Amino acid sequence: MTLANRVLASSGLSGGAPAALLGDESVKSAGLGQIVASGDPGDTLVAYGLGSCVGVVGFDPGTKVGGLLHALLPQHRPGEENLAKFVDTGIPRLVLEMERLGARRRGIIWYLVGGAEMLRMPGMTAQFNIGSKNSAMAQSVMAREGLPVRALDLGGSSGRTVKLSIQDGKVMVRTLGQGERAL
Amino acid sequence: MEGTGAFAGARLDLILERMASLATESAAEGLSTMLGSPIRITVPRVQLVDIGEVSGRVGGPEQEAVGIYLLAQGDMPGHIMLIMPLDDAFRLTDMLLEEPEGTTTVLGSLERSALGEVGNVTASLFLNAIANATGMDIRPSPPAVMIDMVGAILDIILVTAGAIADDILLLETEFQGPDRKVEIYFWVVPAAVMALTQEDGS
Repeated sequence: MTLANRVLASSGLSGGAPAALLGDESVKSAGLGQIVASGDPGDTLVAYGLGSCVGVVGFDPGTKVGGLLHALLPQHRPGEENLAKFVDTGIPRLVLEMERLGARRRGIIWYLVGGAEMLRMPGMTAQFNIGSKNSAMAQSVMAREGLPVRALDLGGSSGRTVKLSIQDGKVMVRTLGQGERAL
Repeated sequence: MEGTGAFAGARLDLILERMASLATESAAEGLSTMLGSPIRITVPRVQLVDIGEVSGRVGGPEQEAVGIYLLAQGDMPGHIMLIMPLDDAFRLTDMLLEEPEGTTTVLGSLERSALGEVGNVTASLFLNAIANATGMDIRPSPPAVMIDMVGAILDIILVTAGAIADDILLLETEFQGPDRKVEIYFWVVPAAVMALTQEDGS
């Protein structure tokens, strides 16, 4: 972990792109519908502000390769090119990208984060329960693909930021008002 | 103007901007009356924005913010969102509750309901103006007030838009309070028009 990262982590400093702010190249952010993967021990992978979106984190301790998916919707829509936008197609894609960097599928440890219900409006639940659908889809795809989930932090009604440090495989989840904690 | 090229031929953006100008003026007047001080508004922009870039407009996905969300129901379904950084929400609450600046530091149920009322007034006046100009029947839902990270708040809009395309058609205005102490982004994402635009444009 670089000094800048350590400062960020300990201060709980927030904001849009702290990495860019400090000129630190080692924070790699997965935006909406994106996958980031790395085998560089200096890297930290981040998905900022997950609401109903699901963050899928994988780390292979043997090869020190990690990956992070930031998926928006549960199910792939026919014709869509961006597989990382969807939980069901994003997870196999994430595995593939990690394998390309040398990770061994059987060695990867998995974490699921996000899938909150941001909106509690009377009479509108059916329209907006994407968070639960994303969570359920993520868990069912992990089971189907035989990918073991070590820990999960799903549901609730708060946004989350999730970080994976490639150096030690540590996964941190930050929620407003509750600070950052190890998953 | 950024991002309007895709459907410039349809002139949909021009029609929307004209209509939006009148409607946001009406909304700002209502908000000025509610606050007892004049609210300045910027000229509304209608833009196609990549769903990954929306959060950058309010300080990035992890910025702590307040979102006041309403659903437009009826002939023109869509989303309405007033979104502002947390500190601006504190100052806006002080203005609403006629307290000295710096009084509000936590948003409890009273403060949330006052902020919800801002959403109610601005969205109702905006939609009324559109309804009067077009003869369409449009009503806002009750407001939902969220205090969270910008990215998390935006997921609500982006899930419906993201299911259709990688861009959303965003109508954006900024409301500025006296001395620019409060800046509120007023966003309208018309669901039906967005789908239509995507079919035409791509």
